[in-house]
Amino acid sequence: MFSGLTQLLFQAYESFGVLDLFIQIALAFIFIALFATIIAYSVILYKRWKAYAEEKRMNFIRPKIEEMITEQVLINENLEKVPVDEIEFDPAALNDNIYKTPWVRQMVIETIISYRKNFRGEVGELLRKLYIDMGLTKDSFDKMKSIRWEKKIKAVGELTQMDIQISDVTILPLTNSTNPSLRAAARNAYIQLSKNEPFKFFDVATEPILPWDQLELFKIITTTKDIAIPNFSRWVSYSTNKSVVSFCLKLIAHYDQQSAIPAVMDLLNNKDHYFRADAINCLGKLTAEAAEERMVRIYNTQPIYCQLEILKALGRIGSGKHLDFLKSEFLFSSNFDVRMNAARSIIKHNTPASRALIDDLKETSHDENRLIISHCQNPLIKY
Amino acid sequence: MANILIIEDDDIMLKAIKNILGKAGYNVITAKDGKEAFDQMENADYDVVVTDLMMPYANGLEVVSRLRGDATKRHVSIIVVSSVGNEETITEAFRLGADDYLKKPIMAGELLIRIKKLLDNRANHSKLVTKKK
Repeated sequence: MFSGLTQLLFQAYESFGVLDLFIQIALAFIFIALFATIIAYSVILYKRWKAYAEEKRMNFIRPKIEEMITEQVLINENLEKVPVDEIEFDPAALNDNIYKTPWVRQMVIETIISYRKNFRGEVGELLRKLYIDMGLTKDSFDKMKSIRWEKKIKAVGELTQMDIQISDVTILPLTNSTNPSLRAAARNAYIQLSKNEPFKFFDVATEPILPWDQLELFKIITTTKDIAIPNFSRWVSYSTNKSVVSFCLKLIAHYDQQSAIPAVMDLLNNKDHYFRADAINCLGKLTAEAAEERMVRIYNTQPIYCQLEILKALGRIGSGKHLDFLKSEFLFSSNFDVRMNAARSIIKHNTPASRALIDDLKETSHDENRLIISHCQNPLIKY
Repeated sequence: MANILIIEDDDIMLKAIKNILGKAGYNVITAKDGKEAFDQMENADYDVVVTDLMMPYANGLEVVSRLRGDATKRHVSIIVVSSVGNEETITEAFRLGADDYLKKPIMAGELLIRIKKLLDNRANHSKLVTKKK
């Protein structure tokens, strides 16, 4: 049979040799396509089988893990009777052979984290103790050493969720990683875990804090309990990383750090237009009356987005000293946005003088300007 | 023994609360979504309903609203347990008739005390009504 097959292949090869070149190329493509299809299907089948087998294994193990956590933590007899640190787990339950397999240990970590997301207080603390007592901290730290960034992110997430301290030597380099996802995860973790100097990574950050990461960081900073909030003006003054400065300006405005006003005002001299716009925005939110005069003075030399920010800032500060300036911008500017923001800022003053000015403008302005004032007076339209 | 219905779409949380309340001596029934909860409520009477907000088919607010709208089930005490922490949702839950609101992550001890308080209030209320009669 074997010799028959060899003979058949040999004949096919001989016939192939006498075929036209185009036919030969077409046949070669057909064979390659067939071969690739078989490979692709084999890979898909293997992956599906692997996922099925994994799911089956997990379904078998999951109830055991949940049962162990329930017995050792959720319905632990010593809860609320003995301090969490003094509660001892049943060694037999923790040292079961199934918890020696790496993938089972990973499942235990994930299950503990899921429980901890739902429970705080003593149960949350006891879950943390279980994680430490089972030696799962080592598993997470081992993952930190992996060369794969996904594993590192996973490890950082696990340690953060379990409130385990990571040394600066390990985490700080990751906050400056070239991989944006790893960088963001490390920065988030650093803020949550470092209670004394959670913003130390700002000093070493050379990679940018992307807008989406800024949102994430902002959420973490404003929701993490007992976080030491520093004076962000130090980074405004000294950081060479533009995204750090921009982010600090937002934080200064959020935490109403009045002492940062001089540092923010220094940015009005910066060559970068976007920086200046951010600084003006921050000064407006800080209602920095001391900056009003300077903003009005530089107004005519600024690009349009800085001008709009100045108009907004004057409305937010609302000292009433520059109503005439706002009025002239509203009446004589050819730019629609400028007129709109000037009108909004006059209205935002909400003083007898500003109200009288608005009434006057309504009577004396042309139709379009009257429409702008009516639009800006609508309380449902925010800015 | 008080009957408690837990409505929660997160399996882990559902089992966890069931175990905690079960250990405390309550008779616990579970439902994984609003639809299943409505079926459970038809089949039995409950003293307390512990419900999540974000669930498939019918959310927690619909559960609260349905319970308060039904004359035969209006007396059931309702505790909303959710990770939603915005003021509007919390006030909406109370406006619809929720008795209590717990934001996740919760403290197991706190949940037990709140359930006990609601049950005690109910018992006191029933005593008062009986006395008046």
